[in-house]
Amino acid sequence: MIVPIFTLRFNHKIFAGLTTVGLYDGKHPCLTCATTAGKILVHNPHARFNEGGRISAGTESDVHLLNIGQQITALTAGALNSNVNKDFLVAGTQTSILAYDVDQNADLFYKDVADGVNVAVVGQLGQIDCPIAVVGGNCSIQGFDYEGNDLFWTVTGDNVRAMALCDFTRDNEQELIVGSDDYDIRVFKKDELVSEMTETEAVTCLCPMSGSKFGYSLANGTVGVYDKTTRYWRIKSKNQVVSIFNYDLDGDGVVELITGWSNGKVDARNDRTGEVMFKDNFPSSIAGIIKADYRMDGQQELICCSINGEVRGYLPMEQSGGTTAPTTEKDVFRELSLKKQNLLTELKNYEKNVKAHKLPVGLEKSEIDGTPVGLIPANTQLLVTLDVSPGDANIQPHIVLHISTSNDTILRAIIIFAEGIFKGESHVVHPSPQNVSNKLDVRIFPQKDGVVDLHIKALVGYKSSVQFHTFEMTRQIPRFTLYIVAPDDTPEPKSSVVFHITERINRVVMWINQNFLLQKEIEAEDELNVKLICLRENTPLFVNMEPNQNGKITIKTDNMDLAGDIIQGLTTFLGIEDLQVTADFPDYLGYLRSVLEKVDEYHSTSEKLTAEMADHSNLIRSLIVRAEDARIMGDMLNMKRGYMELNTVNRDLISQYSIRCNNHTELLSNLKIVNQTIQKAGRLRVGKSKTQVIAACRAAIKSNNISSLFKIIKAGSS
Amino acid sequence: MEIELTRSEYIQVGVTSPKTTKILPMAKEKHGQKVVVADHEGAVTCFQMKRGDASIVFKTLPGPKITRLELGGPLGNVQDRIFVSCGPEIRGYNKKGKQFLNFDTNLTESIQTMAVYGSDLFLCGNYIYNHYRDCKDFNYYLSTDRINDTICVPSEQIDDVIPILACQDRVLRVIRDSDLRYQVDISGSPTCTCLMDPKGEILYGTSDGLFGVVHIGPTEPLHRWELPNDDNLGGVLCMESYDLFDDGKNEILVGRDDGLLQIYGYDETGDPEIKCKSTFSESITSVAGGRVANVNVNEAVVSTYAGWITGISVAQNHQGANGDYMKSATSEENQMKVDLLKSEIEELQVRIARERENYQYMASTDNRVSAVPQFSINDKFVLNGDDASYHLTLEVQMPIDNVLLQSDVPVDLLDLDKNSAVVSFSDVDIENGNHLLATYRCQANTTRLELKIRSIEGQYGTLQAYITPRCQPKSCQVRQYDVKPLSLHQRISALDESRPFNVLQLSGQFSLAEIHSWINFCLPDMPERASGDSVNMAFRSTFLDTQLECRYKKGEGIFRSDNLSTIAILKDVMTKEATKKKINLNISHDINDDSIAHALNIIHPKMEQQLSLAKRVQIIDALKELEVSEGGTTCLSESYREILANAEQLREEFKKQPSRLERLSGMITDLYLDTYKFKGQSVKNKVPALLELLNHYNLDSLIDFFTN
Repeated sequence: MIVPIFTLRFNHKIFAGLTTVGLYDGKHPCLTCATTAGKILVHNPHARFNEGGRISAGTESDVHLLNIGQQITALTAGALNSNVNKDFLVAGTQTSILAYDVDQNADLFYKDVADGVNVAVVGQLGQIDCPIAVVGGNCSIQGFDYEGNDLFWTVTGDNVRAMALCDFTRDNEQELIVGSDDYDIRVFKKDELVSEMTETEAVTCLCPMSGSKFGYSLANGTVGVYDKTTRYWRIKSKNQVVSIFNYDLDGDGVVELITGWSNGKVDARNDRTGEVMFKDNFPSSIAGIIKADYRMDGQQELICCSINGEVRGYLPMEQSGGTTAPTTEKDVFRELSLKKQNLLTELKNYEKNVKAHKLPVGLEKSEIDGTPVGLIPANTQLLVTLDVSPGDANIQPHIVLHISTSNDTILRAIIIFAEGIFKGESHVVHPSPQNVSNKLDVRIFPQKDGVVDLHIKALVGYKSSVQFHTFEMTRQIPRFTLYIVAPDDTPEPKSSVVFHITERINRVVMWINQNFLLQKEIEAEDELNVKLICLRENTPLFVNMEPNQNGKITIKTDNMDLAGDIIQGLTTFLGIEDLQVTADFPDYLGYLRSVLEKVDEYHSTSEKLTAEMADHSNLIRSLIVRAEDARIMGDMLNMKRGYMELNTVNRDLISQYSIRCNNHTELLSNLKIVNQTIQKAGRLRVGKSKTQVIAACRAAIKSNNISSLFKIIKAGSS
Repeated sequence: MEIELTRSEYIQVGVTSPKTTKILPMAKEKHGQKVVVADHEGAVTCFQMKRGDASIVFKTLPGPKITRLELGGPLGNVQDRIFVSCGPEIRGYNKKGKQFLNFDTNLTESIQTMAVYGSDLFLCGNYIYNHYRDCKDFNYYLSTDRINDTICVPSEQIDDVIPILACQDRVLRVIRDSDLRYQVDISGSPTCTCLMDPKGEILYGTSDGLFGVVHIGPTEPLHRWELPNDDNLGGVLCMESYDLFDDGKNEILVGRDDGLLQIYGYDETGDPEIKCKSTFSESITSVAGGRVANVNVNEAVVSTYAGWITGISVAQNHQGANGDYMKSATSEENQMKVDLLKSEIEELQVRIARERENYQYMASTDNRVSAVPQFSINDKFVLNGDDASYHLTLEVQMPIDNVLLQSDVPVDLLDLDKNSAVVSFSDVDIENGNHLLATYRCQANTTRLELKIRSIEGQYGTLQAYITPRCQPKSCQVRQYDVKPLSLHQRISALDESRPFNVLQLSGQFSLAEIHSWINFCLPDMPERASGDSVNMAFRSTFLDTQLECRYKKGEGIFRSDNLSTIAILKDVMTKEATKKKINLNISHDINDDSIAHALNIIHPKMEQQLSLAKRVQIIDALKELEVSEGGTTCLSESYREILANAEQLREEFKKQPSRLERLSGMITDLYLDTYKFKGQSVKNKVPALLELLNHYNLDSLIDFFTN
């Protein structure tokens, strides 16, 4: 336990993940949190603000409220203008971004962001010379300078959830790390994608640590640390991670990863091992963690806020006077004793086992020294094979795991722990007592392609056993599993990607054999011709390679994602750093055209609705004035009529609001498709060509040049 | 501010049963008192603390598991003889470890509990009480339900000694010779008793966590006080009355099965109040008071399930101690200890590596068997009356790796906040009889797991837990728990006769044992065997507060309940069970129409409360927003302000009872279906209308709906 050096309490709810601290006058730190009713709470114990405008004094002393008027979805603060030595507040909503000069009580800039703002960071990015506010939204990332100029734009595979600036490549320039809903962590150096790590759930938080290390957390309660692309450690808890932060709590010069949990726990973990070093508990969920010199004495405190407005500040251990040495010594002793005890138990188990060898084989129940034991033949083995099944009308295509024992022992249950392919983290097969046997089939339905490790635990014994042997083994399923060799009459897909590589055909064949779960390994000598069917969507996939024609590879599939996956996987395997392709996806581009048309439609509807709303608000004003006049005159009849009308208008407004909401969600989902298409087009290329394609697509969309967009997707440039 | 406690760990022995740790009386003024502890490996260990180190005085050879350890000795002398019960035997050791008694009772059951007084031994198996004097059979008594603990109130006159049996059916049976003197009803199943005052003040603790004091007089009991278990703490496993604070007054030390040790003192008015507490990671099996580490400091010695013996004392005393016994070990000494341990572990690891190789080799040869020994599991599956759900507690001596829960009956598994284990639900697979498949993956060093299970009355089956500890060779044990048809009922002492009752009457060619087994199948809290010619038992539904009475004898059974659904479930299950045995049952029932409205009236306040709670919790956020935008609460009405002021409590209360409203609605629907089933009508088609009515709940219209 660590002891806080100060505590505060705001009588406001604080939204999880929306806390920050800023030196708005350049000197005094102010804790800033998003609270209910579209307001931002600014705690300012050191100086006064000018009230008026957006700022109003709160009910408590030192607390001011900043009115945004819309639900706040992202909040951060930072020195956005390098000419002025003070921080600016950046608040994001579902449709806009506001940069605010709290000190002057004035807007710095306000911009509409169609993709919404899920997360925002402020800082230097790569070689862009001025600090920018980077906002992540619906598949897109945008960067603004202090005047609101759009300096940076790129796309990711899904909604952006978390961002952090970190010197990932250790070149003294900051890279942008982005975590999104598609389980991926992507690292951008300016707008070039330098690394991509796939996790097992949506990424919820990211924070820079020392050097190239950064912390991350997932929606399933995992928290961990990466150094570049290597994961140092991770742990999983049943609670949700709300916020992660870096702070050197033990004063050894290396920052720890501080995690705030949904159950109110705060813990500090060693950045290399993940070992818990300190913890504290709040009565309610944590809302945010920051650090600041809040007492103005030259020391940075770690500050944690809970959603109920409780704030605690901590100092590094040695400074706050807490000593941990005696407890650790005791703990070491206890831990060692425990280890000794466990070893002794294990030894005892082996000793009993030796005694068991004297017992005859085939007994279902036996006793040694009066305690019952579970007996099985010592040479029992567990056999596991993987297979692909096309399924039938009732069952989706799936992978079958055939598990069996090598003798008459039965499999009571199978527990498989794996990440990302089951609803939870485990899958259990427990046959009814009359159906147990020495064979079990486990069906697995992977929802997307990817490498998965299956940790299998099989309980082996006899029918009436109460005690089972647990067999443990790990099997890996390759990246592309639900594919089988297509029959000869399979029609050829309309779409294709064509590119040239200078590699031997064997290497490509090797890659395919490693990454596809095929019953028979494919072979090829002078020409590679593989025809597969993806069982999940029942679509064909043809891969063709002609070494004679400059190593021309043709991938034929209607699934743009799949083509991208294959190209990315193959080029990584072959070490290709730059690749331009010719992509022809007629169906998909047709679909994109219709989406773009819809986007236009929704835009115009939205404008029309806004105009109508303005009309209504005028009407309301006049109705209220009329009704109130009537009331003052004592004309109750007219007052009543006036308010009745007002009620009708109000009802209209509400129904219009829901229309607007629907319109907006539709617009967003369509915009997402557009962004994702650009991302997919990028994934068909590698290296520089990829960055170029994304930039060119963006330019085409900005200038509303659809035909040029299509050309870029096809050829890589206009 | 609570008083701070210092803890120091002494030694670890094997798994321990409750009440197996005692402190020998002070022998010499120079050294601390000796501690004796007996474990499941059958060893009795006696140790003494010297300069902060535990030195073993003696340790007996392993044998059958020891269930109790008591101290005794000739009357008027020092009580320093050690008595242990193992299997049907009683063994006696003196303080040096020399065995002076080996007494085989020849009982068929093994001895579970024991009390010793002079040359009298009071021994109990599961149901039998035996009194031996000088190892000769003296008295005998058969209890109707399981005996959980035995104690005796001493007396100058040897024949006036009063033995007391704490029995599962919520009574303390006070014995005279071979007969019942009288019995004391208490509100829970007593699990442990402790003598507070030789004049007959008895402390008792129950499995549902409450404890109290009762005076046992020669002819009648006198209830002193009882502390309810409002915080839902674990069951009481051991208690001791000891002056831990050294203030001349005895405190009450309570050890619970959730690892909590509490120390109660008295406030100014003499009422008990909690003074301090300490939490262990395992259940506490014994607690004893004495001066062990330091002759000047009173301390409590606590033993846990996995056999850790820990000393606990009031912190300040240590600093004030001037004796040279408890010099806290210097860091060098500590380092030495750690080094010693490390080298021991290394040695063990080498041996284990060899054994592992051997094991692997064995696996490759034919005609051999591989055995996994049984590890002991301390498990508990009890109904919690407060929220009408079952608490499942699993405790293993080794760290748990994972637990698989499987149930062939629909139950809800609720996770507890204090668990650190990660729960994951697998898809249910009804075809294979799996209505629940869930895995718990435990964090390192978890030896205890607690879960909450919510059952539905009328649906019955078995819940199984497959427990895999983190120990090589990896093995797994399965434990089964019955989910009974009337799982939410709890025993009470008597029926409230003023209620309108529905009656179900059974008659046929069945024996008492047969009908008893059927009822045992239906209801929890039942003794395994029926005693006497007829049985009369009363139950209360912990969820609805309706009651049930079962009266049965050979060839006849009469059941009365104010809840028709209870009768319907009983009827269904009994018919099924009787058919299995091919016994013809004559069934008649007498439905009391008043009982329907009565049952709905019982449910009414619960519905009302839930609905208003849900409503209030729903508007908290909106009110908070208003408060922020209006800058205060003055604009709100009194009732809204109250909601805001109590927002936290309301949320807490709401969180405590998830889906209680759905459960209540389900009960009402069942009651509706059952009512008409007894009238021979199927009203399934009217259920949607009923549900619609429940959405706009109103008692009168509901009663109307039922009667039409």
